[in-house]
Amino acid sequence: MINKKIYLIAGIGIAVISAVFFMLTNPTLLVYGVQRAGIYAAIALPMALVLGIVHIVNLAHGEMMMVAAYLSYFISRTFDLDPLLAAIPTGIIMFFLGIFIFKTTIYHTLKAPELNQLILTFGVAMVLSQTINLMATSQPRKISLDYVSASASIGEVSFGIYDFIFPALAIIFLIILMYFLKKTRIGKAATAVGQNPRGALIVGINVDLTYTVIFAVASALIGIFGSVFITKFSIFPAVGGAYTMKSFALVAMAGIGNLPKIITASLILGIAESFVMSIPGGAGWTPMIFFGLIIFVILSRSFRSKH
Amino acid sequence: MSRKLSAISFILLFMLSFGSIFATGQTEGEVKPIKFGGVWPLGDITGAQASKAAQLAVDELNANGGLLGRPVELIVIDSEFSPEKGAAAIERLATVDKVDFFVGGMSSGVHLGQIPALKKYKKVTMWTGAASHLAEEAVGANQDWYFHLHPWDYNQGASYVEGWNDIAEKYSEISIDRWFLAYEEGPFGSASFEATKTLFADMEIDGEAFQSAAAGGGDYTAVLQRAKEYDPDVFIWAGYAADALPMMEQAKAINFVPRLFVGAPPGWPSDFGESKLAEDVTLYGMWAPAINTVSVKSTLFSVGYETKYNEIPATYFAPLGYTSIDIIVQAVKAAGTIETDAVIAALKANPYESALGEVINFKPSNVISNQGICQQKILQWQNGEQEVIWPFDFATSNPAYPFKGWTK
Repeated sequence: MINKKIYLIAGIGIAVISAVFFMLTNPTLLVYGVQRAGIYAAIALPMALVLGIVHIVNLAHGEMMMVAAYLSYFISRTFDLDPLLAAIPTGIIMFFLGIFIFKTTIYHTLKAPELNQLILTFGVAMVLSQTINLMATSQPRKISLDYVSASASIGEVSFGIYDFIFPALAIIFLIILMYFLKKTRIGKAATAVGQNPRGALIVGINVDLTYTVIFAVASALIGIFGSVFITKFSIFPAVGGAYTMKSFALVAMAGIGNLPKIITASLILGIAESFVMSIPGGAGWTPMIFFGLIIFVILSRSFRSKH
Repeated sequence: MSRKLSAISFILLFMLSFGSIFATGQTEGEVKPIKFGGVWPLGDITGAQASKAAQLAVDELNANGGLLGRPVELIVIDSEFSPEKGAAAIERLATVDKVDFFVGGMSSGVHLGQIPALKKYKKVTMWTGAASHLAEEAVGANQDWYFHLHPWDYNQGASYVEGWNDIAEKYSEISIDRWFLAYEEGPFGSASFEATKTLFADMEIDGEAFQSAAAGGGDYTAVLQRAKEYDPDVFIWAGYAADALPMMEQAKAINFVPRLFVGAPPGWPSDFGESKLAEDVTLYGMWAPAINTVSVKSTLFSVGYETKYNEIPATYFAPLGYTSIDIIVQAVKAAGTIETDAVIAALKANPYESALGEVINFKPSNVISNQGICQQKILQWQNGEQEVIWPFDFATSNPAYPFKGWTK
C-alpha cells in the first residue's frame, strides 16, 4: 500500500516536472502532445467500451469510423451543414448501423472462440471499406473549414488551437460512459454481462439486449468522432485501418475494462510522439514510439503480476 | 452403328460451328470491330477520368463512321492499383478479348507488373502513366511496339530545374535560392527529396519527413514549424492528395507563409480548388482546363468531355487517355491498316497535336525508342482555377508572387 502511494506520488511528480520543463523549453510540444492524445483517447474509448466491458473484439472499429466520416461528409454537403452539427444525425444513423452490424454478424459469434470474432469483424472491415471505395471512389475528400486554422501564440510561437476539440471530446465521451456504466440500469447490466454472461442471464438480465445496446452506443460515439474527424483530416476508404490498431493498442495499454486509464495512456503516447516529432528526423520514429511504449507497458505489467 | 456415329459427329460439328459464331458475338456479314484494351485504376480519379476520356475518343470515332470502315471498341479493366491485377488484365485483354492495341496506365508499380505480359504479346501499346525510370529499364531498348506518353521521372526533374530557372530569370523579384522540402516518409517522398537535392545541388536545401495521412498520419505541425524556422524561398511538400488541404490548414494555424508554397502530390483532391487556401499554391502537372485558351485541340477535347460526362476533366490523365486512343487512330488512318509494323511506322513519322497542348513527336529517351512528352508544366491555383505559369509558350497567367495565403 505504502509502495503504491510512493509510486503514485513519484509518477505525479515526474509528470509535473516534465510538463514545466516542456512548457519552458518548447511550449508547443505539450500543446500538440495533448491534442494528439485527445484524438487517440476519443477513438479508443468506444473500443474500450465494447472490448473492455462486454469483451467483443471489433476489428472493424476504424472502418466504422471511416463510414461515419463519409456519412457526415455527405450530410454536410447535401444539407449545407457544418460537420460538427452533422455529428448528431451521424451519431443516430451509426447507432442503428451498429445494431444492424451486431445483429447480422457479431451476435452469431458471441459464444464462439474470440478468433472467430476477429476474423468475422476483419471481414466486416473489408466489406465496409470496399463498399465505400465502390460508392465514393478512393479519391480523398475534405471539407475546407475556416475555424480549423484558429490559432494562438505563446511569445513568438503560433500554434493551432482547434485541435483541443479532441481532448474535450474525449473527456465528454469518458464522462458519458462512466455515467452510463455506473448510474444506468443497462450500464450496470453491461458490467455484469462482461464479467459473467451466464450468471447475468441466470439473475434475469437480458444479455442479448445488453450486448446490442453497448455495441450501438459505441457505434454512436464512433459516429460523433467521425464527424469531428473530417474537420481536421482528409477521408478515403483506407483511412480507418490505422485507428483500429491504435485503439487496440491503447485499450491494451490502459488495461482491459479501465476506461479512465485510456486518457492517461493517450496522454503518455501523445506527448511522447510530440516530443519525438520535435527532434529533427523524428517523424519516422513515431510509429515505433507508439508501439514500443505499448510493448514496454504490457511486458512490465506481466512481469509485475508474475512477481 | 457407323451411320449413327456419322449422324452424331455431324450434329456435334454443326453445334460447335453454330456455337462458335455466338461465342464471338459474330454473325455472318457483321464487321469485326477494331479493339482497344485499356487498364486503369478505376477507383481513382486519374483512372476513372482517363478511361472516360478514352471512351469519348472511341464514341466520337464511331459517330463518324469508325476506323477503316470498321467500328471501334474499347474494353477497360480495373487495375485496382494492383500489379497482379494489372498483369492479369493484360493477359485477359490479349487472350480472351483479343484486342488489337493496348492503352492505359497509371502507377509505376502496377506497370512493372504488366511489362512482362506486354512484352510477350508485343502489340502496339500507348502508355499514359508510369514515371519511374525503373519501368523504362524493365521495358528495355529496341521495343518498337512500346510508346510512352507520360514523361519519365528524370524528364520531370529536368523540367522543374529548367522551369524554375526560367521563372527566376524572367521575374527578377522571384527568389529560388533557399528550399525546404517536406516529404512523406515512404519511398515516394524520400525519392523526391533525394532527387530535389541532386537537381538543385547549387541551392540551399533542407528537408524533413512527415507521416502522410495515407499511411495513418496527418499531423504536419512539426515539419511545418521547422520549415517556418528555416524561412525558405520555396517550400515544397511531396505527399499524397489526402495531405493537401490539412497541410494548408495547419500551415495557416501556425502562420507559416513561405514566398512560394508548392505542392507535388501525384494527384490533387477534386475539390481542392474550391478552398480559399488553394489560392497562389503552385503545383506540377501536364494539363489544366486553362490550356483551352491557348490550344484549340484542348478546347475541343474539354468541350466534348464536359458535354458527355457533365464534369470537368480535373486531372491531366483525362487528356492523356483521350490522346492514347486518338494518336493510334490517326496512325491507323495514315497507315491504312492495323498491321503492327505499318502502325508503328506511322506513329513515328507523323507529328500529333495533342489535347495536352503539345505536339507529340516520338523520339528515343534514355532507354526506350518512343517517348512522347518530355516536359512537365508548372501551374498555380489562381481564383479557383489552375493556371499555367511555365512553359511560357503555354502560360495562361503570370506567377502570383509572393504567396499571400491567409495574410490577404
